[in-house]
Amino acid sequence: MAKVLVVAEIKQGVLKSSTAELLSKAKAIGAEAAVVAIGSNIEGLVPELVKAGSDTQYIADDAGLELFSAGPYAACVVDAARQFGADLILFGFSESSKAAAPRVAAQLDAACASEITEVAADNGAFQVVRPAITNKVVQKVKVNTDKLVAVVRAGAFEADESIGGTENVVKLDIPAPDLKAVIKELVSDASGEIDLADADVVVSVGRGARNEEGIALVKELADDLNAGFGSSRAMVDAGFMPHNKQVGQTGKIVAPSLYIAVGISGAIQHLAGMSGSKVVLAINKDPEAPIFNIADYGIVGDLFEVVPILKEELKKVRS
Amino acid sequence: MKILTTVKKVVDVELNIHVKDGAIVEDGLQYVINAWDENAVETTVQLKEQTGAETTLVSIGGGDNTDIIRRCYAMGIERGIHIEDPALDKADSFIYARVLQKVFEQGDYDLVITGKQAQDTDNGQTGIILAEYLGLPCVSNVIGVEVIDDKHLKVSRAGDAGTEIVEVELPAVITVDVSINEPRLPQMRGLMMAKKKKIEVMDLAALGTSAEEIGCAAPKSEVIEFMESEKRSGGRKFEGDPAEVTAQVVELLASEAKVI
Ligand SMILES: Cc1cc2nc3c(=O)[nH]c(=O)nc-3n(C[C@H](O)[C@H](O)[C@H](O)COP(=O)(O)OP(=O)(O)OC[C@H]3O[C@@H](n4cnc5c(N)ncnc54)[C@H](O)[C@@H]3O)c2cc1C
Ligand SMILES: Nc1ncnc2c1ncn2[C@@H]1O[C@H](COP(=O)(O)O)[C@@H](O)[C@H]1O
Repeated sequence: MAKVLVVAEIKQGVLKSSTAELLSKAKAIGAEAAVVAIGSNIEGLVPELVKAGSDTQYIADDAGLELFSAGPYAACVVDAARQFGADLILFGFSESSKAAAPRVAAQLDAACASEITEVAADNGAFQVVRPAITNKVVQKVKVNTDKLVAVVRAGAFEADESIGGTENVVKLDIPAPDLKAVIKELVSDASGEIDLADADVVVSVGRGARNEEGIALVKELADDLNAGFGSSRAMVDAGFMPHNKQVGQTGKIVAPSLYIAVGISGAIQHLAGMSGSKVVLAINKDPEAPIFNIADYGIVGDLFEVVPILKEELKKVRS
Repeated sequence: MKILTTVKKVVDVELNIHVKDGAIVEDGLQYVINAWDENAVETTVQLKEQTGAETTLVSIGGGDNTDIIRRCYAMGIERGIHIEDPALDKADSFIYARVLQKVFEQGDYDLVITGKQAQDTDNGQTGIILAEYLGLPCVSNVIGVEVIDDKHLKVSRAGDAGTEIVEVELPAVITVDVSINEPRLPQMRGLMMAKKKKIEVMDLAALGTSAEEIGCAAPKSEVIEFMESEKRSGGRKFEGDPAEVTAQVVELLASEAKVI
């Protein structure tokens, strides 16, 4: 039976939904499933890790692991993978995963697949499915090694609440810090806000909003809807929005029930991050904007006029 | 400082790409420099302007890629190596990283700058694997670089919790994101001069290695089939009085789409 090690995704002490989704997938392909959790002050998460479906919990808990550093993080995963004898190592989709997964693969002499949407074990040989070429195509990839490290695209798998697991905690040795790449400072952006990846509704702002004033207007719409607040790259590069709010090929992948694109043209690199959304609403003053080619509902108009009306109308229906 | 910059020639993603019988239809495709690699080149040239760094680029495969190498010359890169060998036809990121390792070991480089990701593979792996093979520190997804001294860089990296400011010891590998800079447009004069510059074309033997040593026959993974991606089709577009159409759309979001 294949053995799958899932790397727990923990943000600000909270276990993210990807962990249960990946563990469910592991069990669905008939594998024995373990989890590795890395961070500071995370031992309290063990019951949740068990409930999410793991049968062994490898824990690396140390104040030195509070800030993400790819070297030590990868070392913990490699250690857990060796102890468990993992054939498949699954990471959730994040910048940290993208930085650590290739290191883990190189150290284990495993294959490495990014942004997979499906994985199957066929007679012990893994096959994955993943988008490529800026989401323009999908590829089926055959893995030739017996071990695979994969980063799973956000929203690819669903959690099966019924699986459950058993508690079997293994404490990992804490790796030495990376003295050759030292994090001096973390300039954190707007923590307490709703995490884009988890949000059921995402409102994103584009260059059409022009400036801080425009952004504030769109942000109010997001707040009214209790939505995640995202951005196109144009507004990130202009310095108006923080990097971790960027939706798209080099940013976050989101798949909410409702995605509202405000003043965003719909470049393929932006679409690559949000085209999995269930329903898309676009507001753009240019009737030819490419975003309308993929939006379920499109309002052609000036966002400075439309957004205030939209807020009022939404209030009416929601009350 | 000696910088090695990696550049791949990739399919132009802005054009339509079709799939037939599990393969990409070659007809009508165009090939360009990978967007992230253009940022890597710009980063390199800026470091050259600041510190007088020596600049070398390496590109593996891509057929005739004199056009993209010349473009990089015109942007300010001094030396270009093109590695072309039929044994690399099925290369994955690990094989490319092995080849890059050979190039690195021959050049006494202080810094490798790769793109974060190649637009054809969308892997985002090669630079990080190269650093593992070389046993060097690596910072990925870099959005800013400052030189501290000839042994240290201060880089910013877009991470999950925010922007990480990392002090990295050289030699090192960094992979850069498109947000790091706006690549310069090569000037006519630069392009003319670039035509006269030599490109060092080598196969694996000329690089002092072999298909066996690199492991070309055993890629860790291979694409066995391409498929069309699911296309979202556009729905309805509402034009007219903003108050009217907005009210109409909100009503549909509630009653038809049932998302609010
Ligand atoms: C390698 C690479 C990776 C990239 N990765 C990403 C990524 O991850 N995410 C991303 O978003 N982009 C990414 N991009 C950039 C992408 O190509 C686009 O440049 C970017 O998405 C454009 O942002 P925008 O839609 O806000 O701006 P624009 O394209 O300038 O569009 C602005 C839109 O606003 C509309 N508008 C203007 N005024 C108003 C108004 N008053 N009311 C209503 N509408 C108005 C305009 O009609 C226009 O359609 C990447 C590019 C490359 C090359
Ligand atoms: N064939 C190649 N030649 C030169 N550089 C490459 C090649 N393949 C990958 N790279 C570099 O590695 C980066 C990441 O590639 P990938 O891992 O395929 O996403 C690219 O942006 C390039 O800088």
